[in-house]
Amino acid sequence: MGVIVPPNRGQCDAALQHLVDSSDGIRAAMLALRDGRPFVERCRSQVDCGKFAAMVSSLVALGQTALRELGAGGLDHVLVEGREGKLVVSSIDGSGGLLLLAVLAERDARLGLVLGHAKTCAQAVSDAFPPAGRQA
Amino acid sequence: MTQTHKIVFIGEPGAGKTTCIAALSHVPPVSTDVACTDELAERKATTTVALDYGELHLGDQGRLLLYGLPGQSRFRFMFDVVREGLLGAVVLVDASSATAMEGLAETLDTYAPELGQLPCVLALNKDARAGEDLRQACLDLLRRHGLVAPAIVVDARRREDIIRMFDLLFMQLELGFDDTEAREANAWA
Repeated sequence: MGVIVPPNRGQCDAALQHLVDSSDGIRAAMLALRDGRPFVERCRSQVDCGKFAAMVSSLVALGQTALRELGAGGLDHVLVEGREGKLVVSSIDGSGGLLLLAVLAERDARLGLVLGHAKTCAQAVSDAFPPAGRQA
Repeated sequence: MTQTHKIVFIGEPGAGKTTCIAALSHVPPVSTDVACTDELAERKATTTVALDYGELHLGDQGRLLLYGLPGQSRFRFMFDVVREGLLGAVVLVDASSATAMEGLAETLDTYAPELGQLPCVLALNKDARAGEDLRQACLDLLRRHGLVAPAIVVDARRREDIIRMFDLLFMQLELGFDDTEAREANAWA
């Protein structure tokens, strides 16, 4: 694991703001560090960011572990669908696994749109890393 | 049907939870470690963010499922994932650390209500010469959180030491674990 080069926080902020503004159905968006601490968040409603970030890192770690144990390759995203909302979590390409993006959407939000917006946001966050700091 | 029982290992980061499970498990242990991004990186390269998992096969008596939970209080919700059917808990303390008592205090602040309802053993790890003073300080801290548990010095890499911890847990179960004291203490907390 190389030295961690942090991304531009302003660009990350803007990417999350754009994500939340892009759809009424998105309740919260967060960038969490891989060991479960919040980095940047944008929330329409009250969310315990510390707990949210910890749960996001646990979900990704469990997802990666399950896929590895089952020989199903690397993790693309984690999707948790509930009766009152849905949660999509993915790793940010180029961050060397440092950052995770979590998007909490309303129950009625269309999954395809949420995944699409999340992917666009993840790319914008990936671009916020200095070129020399980008990692696999 | 084969019986299964569950034991949970808790304690500050670096206390030896992952090592304990790796030393005991009859299956390749499952871990969810990631590289640290905070000051913990100075002491430890990686930290568990979901859980460690292993299995101890007990022959005719079934299987003991071993769970290790992250040490940081922000991961407290993981206890709810393993809570159902827990037989007991092992609280690990890094006795070699200058901040051993602070680490134990955070663990007890986080988990005292849950520990009060389970047979529990406190294990001083990483320093075979851990003295009586430290052991007594740990017991006092347990008491201040309304908890009563035996405290022993162990080497988490040694299977026989971990079996000794389990003996103490099972002894409490056989004698009929009584959580009255903990419930009374928590009622006033």
